[in-house]
Amino acid sequence: MPAISVDTFFACSLMVLLVLSAMASTSWLLYPHINNAVNDNIAERYGEISKYLLLNDGMPSNWGQNCQTIPDTFGLAKAGSNNAYELDIDKVSRLNSENLYAMSYAQIFTALKMPDVSFKIEIKPIFEVVINLTGTFKAANETIYQFEISTEKHGVPIQTELKCYVIAENYLETNLTYASDGRAYVNITLSNDVKGPALFVAFAKAVCNSKIVSFGVYNFAHNSGEPKPKRTFLRLSPLNYTLTASPIFSGTNLSKAYALTINYYSNLTQTVSDNQSVTYSLPHFLDSSSTLIVVTGWNSTTFFTEWTTYPQIPLQTGANFADSIILSNVFTNTYTVMINSVLYECSVWLGGPRE
Amino acid sequence: MKSQNRGQIRIIEAFLAALIIFSSFAVSSNLSVRQNVKKSEDLASIGLQTLVKLDSDGSLGKYIDCGNWTALRDALSIVLPAGICFNLTVYNDQMHQVNTAVISNGGFGSQQIAFVQYICASQSMVFRCYIIHLHLAVAT
Repeated sequence: MPAISVDTFFACSLMVLLVLSAMASTSWLLYPHINNAVNDNIAERYGEISKYLLLNDGMPSNWGQNCQTIPDTFGLAKAGSNNAYELDIDKVSRLNSENLYAMSYAQIFTALKMPDVSFKIEIKPIFEVVINLTGTFKAANETIYQFEISTEKHGVPIQTELKCYVIAENYLETNLTYASDGRAYVNITLSNDVKGPALFVAFAKAVCNSKIVSFGVYNFAHNSGEPKPKRTFLRLSPLNYTLTASPIFSGTNLSKAYALTINYYSNLTQTVSDNQSVTYSLPHFLDSSSTLIVVTGWNSTTFFTEWTTYPQIPLQTGANFADSIILSNVFTNTYTVMINSVLYECSVWLGGPRE
Repeated sequence: MKSQNRGQIRIIEAFLAALIIFSSFAVSSNLSVRQNVKKSEDLASIGLQTLVKLDSDGSLGKYIDCGNWTALRDALSIVLPAGICFNLTVYNDQMHQVNTAVISNGGFGSQQIAFVQYICASQSMVFRCYIIHLHLAVAT
């Protein structure tokens, strides 16, 4: 065989080998980039949708205030607000399933007008307040309860000013103010004449900024049996600065109701009462704080305290993506939003079928 | 002589083809830059939103007027999502550094660093304007 043929055969083989390896390498190298480009477009779209949810006030713009109104288009922004990412207190409250007038997922999905997008919205305080009962000291006339209050964000302690309240039957203790560098111990003394179960409420305001506020609630037995879980006796639905308390059982009698913030508190008076529900008017507090609403009452011989917040946060509504991550493209966007001069963390999950 | 060199020319062609193919790989590797830019944009958006929220009631200007750098650092640490490192520098209108302490929550180990420039007007009796440079990175 002449040398030229060997050279040609060798060169052709080399070229074929190079072309084949180049094709394989190119597809191997470019696949993730092409895939990322698709994902980038989806992420960008979902990012814009989540911003749309938080920056638009929907149609009608006051759909949150009227419990009968189902919005034509969905948006959570406060109507007429000058601040971006300021949400409406009532629109947010209507996302919470605890509220009697909460919108269902189907209603929100329809109002969103995006049939290929499923969503989940979570709004919560920027940091957590964790309360633990660490000790009980009984005496002849009174009982001392020691609480440990932790204020932290993802395990990092936060310096706060604490304001605590204790509520029991015909009893409200208000003047409990403490400083905390992330952990504080609070002693509560309750007379043994006071009937429980009692509710311990702690508001925490970050030292560095008065708009960063959170709260914690602890229900404990005092001269009573163990407290029942939340919403055993009452369903509390605050909307448009009106509280609707709907008893779960007939024969429930409501006694006192309170609205609490960091700096102010108020006794609530009933405005309307019928067999189904009792309504109270809520005051407009000029305070950078969530309003914690406590209603006390009796169900036959059982005393109870039920509570909620206004806005009804923390809340989580929408689809459960936990089992569908493999089937769907799910993207999360987290925003800092403001509701009634308080900052909250809002996470929006958006997902659709994987392409 | 010419016919004997024909095979060698094919080999040169093959190497030229290889050169072109591998240069195309070099070009395609730059595609990943776009992804990094997107992530930086997200970080910058988070940083800007945080500064806007802190400035919405004039708190940001108050921190700077009072030289309360610890409070400013703490506020940023709380409001920014977990896992984000930041380094903030405050300049006056002459671009002289105003902050006398480091306003940061840790070192930057990430290669993706986002930059946000924000202009903050103090709400005190004397009008002052500050230029804030915020660098953000995902903690590694």
